[in-house]
Amino acid sequence: MSLERTQLRLGFIALNDCAPLAVAREKGFFESEGLSVDLSREASWANIRDKVAMGALDGAHMLAPMPLAVRLGICGEPARMIAPMSLNLNGSAITVSTALADAMRAAEPQSMQLRPRTARPLATIIAARKAQGLPPLTFAVVFPFSVHNYELRYWLAEAGVDPDRDLRIVVTPPARMTARLAAGDIDGFCVGAPWNAQAVADGHGEIMVYAAELWGVGPDKVFGVTEGFAERHPLTLSATLRALIRAAAWADEPGNRGELAAILAHHRYVDAPEEVVARSLTGAPPYALGEPGPDDQDYIIYHRYAASFPWRSHAVWFLAQMLRWGQIGPEADIAGTAEAVYRPDLFRAAAAELGAPAPLVDEKVEGLHASAWTLDEATAPIPMAPDLFFDGGSFDAAQPERYAAGFAIGRLRS
Amino acid sequence: MKVIIIDPDEARAALVAEGLADVRPLEVRRASSFEAIEGELPSFAPDVIVIACDSPDRDTLESLREASSENPRPVVMFVDRSSPGLAEAAVEAGVAAYVVDGLSAGRVRSVLEVAMSRFELMQKLRTDLDKAKADLASRKSVERAKGLLMKERGIDEDQAYSLLRKLAMDTGRPIGAVANDLLTFAGVLKGDGS
Repeated sequence: MSLERTQLRLGFIALNDCAPLAVAREKGFFESEGLSVDLSREASWANIRDKVAMGALDGAHMLAPMPLAVRLGICGEPARMIAPMSLNLNGSAITVSTALADAMRAAEPQSMQLRPRTARPLATIIAARKAQGLPPLTFAVVFPFSVHNYELRYWLAEAGVDPDRDLRIVVTPPARMTARLAAGDIDGFCVGAPWNAQAVADGHGEIMVYAAELWGVGPDKVFGVTEGFAERHPLTLSATLRALIRAAAWADEPGNRGELAAILAHHRYVDAPEEVVARSLTGAPPYALGEPGPDDQDYIIYHRYAASFPWRSHAVWFLAQMLRWGQIGPEADIAGTAEAVYRPDLFRAAAAELGAPAPLVDEKVEGLHASAWTLDEATAPIPMAPDLFFDGGSFDAAQPERYAAGFAIGRLRS
Repeated sequence: MKVIIIDPDEARAALVAEGLADVRPLEVRRASSFEAIEGELPSFAPDVIVIACDSPDRDTLESLREASSENPRPVVMFVDRSSPGLAEAAVEAGVAAYVVDGLSAGRVRSVLEVAMSRFELMQKLRTDLDKAKADLASRKSVERAKGLLMKERGIDEDQAYSLLRKLAMDTGRPIGAVANDLLTFAGVLKGDGS
């Protein structure tokens, strides 16, 4: 059967997690599926969203919560977006300025030794600043509907820091995080690779905690298109997904990570020094200068552990975050939105054409596995990774409201 | 009209400003990035912000709109001719807030005006919707509280309502809030919510 279209224009943001798109183009996976793809580096997530909604882009690298928020009508013009594939797990980190890190060490030397590091030393600093009448600290994230925003809030609130009252959270473009940290405009940030490593390399920042330490295998970016595009071009979409699945598998081969760093570092993609890009792809990326992280951690995952599968439980977790932080109210249709946006059915069809294994269930309970396990409910058993949350919690997609209400700090609407 | 233009490209920013030249009174401030003008935002209080579509500051501007603490302003995207079809697609999709360069001066002004009035309309719809939701929730609580009072006190519906209204007047609070309290306390007495 011939494809409805062979020429596509796909958007991405300069981050290591655009790898499946970059690799599919550079290593010929798009081409071997009969696709000629123009990759367009975009300046902002809002541009990505608008251009995909309007058809100026056929599809794009997206923050996983974004297509959900667009569907709900709380992020730009409402549009029927779908996420038929996940692009990566993990990859982000929380970084603070070296000055703030030093202050945290002086205040609580012992808790600063713990891994994963909690935000308790930060809570101590914040309380002291309040007592002295100093202005609140400022942290930056990349977008209100991003795993980074939720990750930072989760980490802060666990230590008793109210992210809305005790500090200021602002939005800053990923590539500008390190410059703003160096200038003292912001005291910390949560962003995807390679920008945390860049702050460490520049000597301006220290990584407090990696996403992999907060949630063993947490979702991050997805590949998004409109429902209209998927309906009008089912074969083209399937071919695109096949190319991206093969590219993700290539990007996860340890032997390919060096070449991957070279591809991504190119000015067409991330446009950053290769050794900085490589840091979160290979070995043990550092917490600080001279302080490497553990080398047995999966800092970014593109393919292994069913990483490309758009788990509905991930969608519901993001929607539960929106509930927890007051971005949506109890009237929002959580199950319906997750089902309309996350499309495991489309992923399974594409994986079947490749003969690649795919999960047969749409969701899983998150945070239950302390060690490696096997997903048997799949077309072939899939090795899975530990998936614990740093606070020991778990997440059942059947009860998002209960989960969102189960924290001491939150902005639940009534 | 107070306008902020954010564009790293001076020539393009000048073009937008030119399109507004006959607007009176007019105050235009130009900046190459959002950071450069962030401090002036509260005091200048622009009617509209024009930003180059390829500026990475778009996400920052959007977040200001999302944060309820800031005074939201309409934002108009300025599209370079190097993105053919984007402005047309935007208008077709109902996203009026895109203006393309090369427009006649008169069109720049009208696009900004459309964006501003559309923004006001959306703000009003949002406020009305929030109010309608709150009213509905309050009516539901009052109905449930009336039912509870009728059952527990053996009184009729009118008496139950009068009682609620008296409680509201005595405490100087909305009747919906009083009804909610009553329902919460009744729940606690029955052992809900531990």
